[in-house]
Amino acid sequence: MRSAVSGLASGDGVAAMRSMGRIIRSGERVALSHYHLDPAQWSEMLTVPGTTLPLISCWADDARAYVLLLEGDCPLLASTIVEDRRYLAPSSRFAGAEWGERVSYDLYGVEAMDARGNGAPALDEGGWTSTWPLSSRPGPAAGGLRPLAGSHLLRPEQTGLSGPLEFSFEVLKGKIRDVEVCAGAAHRGLIARLAGKTPEEAMSLVSRVTAGGFVAHPLAFARAVAQARGLVPGPGIRDVWMILLEIERISIHLFDMARTARGVDAELLATHCDHAREAIARACAEQGVSRRLMDMVTCDGFRDGLEIVPLAQAVHAAMQPRLAALEELHRVFAPRLDGFATLDARLAERFAVGGVTGRSSGRSMDMRRREAGMRLEALRATGSSQGDARAREGLRLAEIRDSLALMERILGSIGLEDDEPAPDRTEEGIGVAEGGRGDVWYWVRLKEGQIESLHVRDPGVSLLPVLGAMLRGYAVDRVPAALGSIGLSPAGIAL
Amino acid sequence: MSVRRTGPLSLLYAFMDATRWRPSMQETAPRRERPIGLYVLETGGCEGCFMEIESLNGSAFALEQAGFVCVNDPADADWLLLTGAVTRVCAEMVDRVWRAMPPGRCLIAVGACAVDGGPFPAGYATLGGLQALTPVRRSIAGCPPSPEDLLRALQELAQG
Ligand code: SF4
Repeated sequence: MRSAVSGLASGDGVAAMRSMGRIIRSGERVALSHYHLDPAQWSEMLTVPGTTLPLISCWADDARAYVLLLEGDCPLLASTIVEDRRYLAPSSRFAGAEWGERVSYDLYGVEAMDARGNGAPALDEGGWTSTWPLSSRPGPAAGGLRPLAGSHLLRPEQTGLSGPLEFSFEVLKGKIRDVEVCAGAAHRGLIARLAGKTPEEAMSLVSRVTAGGFVAHPLAFARAVAQARGLVPGPGIRDVWMILLEIERISIHLFDMARTARGVDAELLATHCDHAREAIARACAEQGVSRRLMDMVTCDGFRDGLEIVPLAQAVHAAMQPRLAALEELHRVFAPRLDGFATLDARLAERFAVGGVTGRSSGRSMDMRRREAGMRLEALRATGSSQGDARAREGLRLAEIRDSLALMERILGSIGLEDDEPAPDRTEEGIGVAEGGRGDVWYWVRLKEGQIESLHVRDPGVSLLPVLGAMLRGYAVDRVPAALGSIGLSPAGIAL
Repeated sequence: MSVRRTGPLSLLYAFMDATRWRPSMQETAPRRERPIGLYVLETGGCEGCFMEIESLNGSAFALEQAGFVCVNDPADADWLLLTGAVTRVCAEMVDRVWRAMPPGRCLIAVGACAVDGGPFPAGYATLGGLQALTPVRRSIAGCPPSPEDLLRALQELAQG
């Protein structure tokens, strides 16, 4: 695995960045990228002056609190002990940590001290059979749903999203001022369902975390498991995984483009997206795999019988001739998306927003670029820094073109790259896959071959803290169109 | 060799393509006074079934020619298509939407989750499908069912 540190900061920023990284590395190294910090080191990490490393995710359980950070393009995981159900809040330093702290409180009853925000429930709306259901000491059921605060509500069935997410808004003179999100309606208790299973047993459920990542989620999980076991998939497997991920990216981008187009009455563009996506699904089915590539990724490779070369060729042949019309239609309809639901570049940077939404706001983060064996020359799309729905739609199209080019390159040299060295087996691993909607992360710790502990970070989570800014100033009835252009999965967020 | 259609005529080509692709029903469309209104509600699955229904409702399939229309208001709906494992929080939403539908309404569980929880059986946050709330009389199997499967099943259900 390469360890290039690049691109995030320069000058004194690099010095400061190193110092946060150095504090973390002064802790006890327990896995490839994981350091145990004592409370003093944890506190120092949260208060050290200078640049803050980008936060990928934050979570806590009964025993420990964790922050997963990016140093350059490499993950760095720090954790500390939870004492008396409390830990010093990462959100005191990392603005995006608040969601993870609220989720951890709802699931384990562990409290983040000096946390940012109002501490409103993220998942537990009062309907569960117990409070703190994953805690070693769960509490009694709350005995009824708690209504959300806020002057205006968007009920879960009114968001235009594929799953139930509840929004409450502060509205002034008909315009949104602030947004609160609760994901309890979509929460299925995934962590509880996966704990205690072997990775192989868990895979079928991981394959159903979200339809926005039927490939990306299992792939990130498989990579985490491989690292925990001290294994590196060979170049043949690696290339198959890359191709599956690109096919999914094209399909999800087309889905999100169609939704965005319908949000501004661009039905002709939506029609072309629908047909292109269906052509890809049919190409997959004709090659004997599921239409949306479910259950293709396994812990040690891919499903028996998968013939990747004809599959990639069939998808390429279905998609390539349709690109020119899509690009032309995008040019015609794009002005309707100008300035709509804009994410400011500074916010994208501050909250480490990835995926299309982050990249179209000027962030360069694409986790594919760090993968061994990646044909980097195929990844040409840079996006703009406008950050609006037009930029997102344009980038999706450019990325579809890149995906086709990447598939061509991989087919031209499939399985030919050298093997990477395997990491030591530590029973702990971190895996990432750059899915159609952004970077999907898994952290897994195994014990006697079973999942002892697990964390999942869907890219939708990084969007939650910036939604308020993106929707500010719009009427509530514009929210579904805005959300459609962002590409959020409630199932991925809530788990 | 594919012809690259760019320039001023490309929009016309795009429109002609869309017209040419317009799906048609192979069999004769059923004669109904008005289409059956479908309201789709996701209650906590992976969203796969919901997205397949959205595809069915898109331009690549002949949902309306088959005598169905997706509606945005439960008050306009005849059938409730329910997807997802029915989280405990969603039970109230299901009840609210069901009550908003006019008499003669019909409930259809779409996908394994909606019937009995599928991969997400009952737990602290989920009820394990519609069967926890009511006997499931009408359902469409799959995880997820394809748009063709869905359309075929809807037509069979409409024929009684
Ligand atoms: S039945 Fe399968 S595809 Fe449908 S929501 Fe459930 S897990 Fe997803």
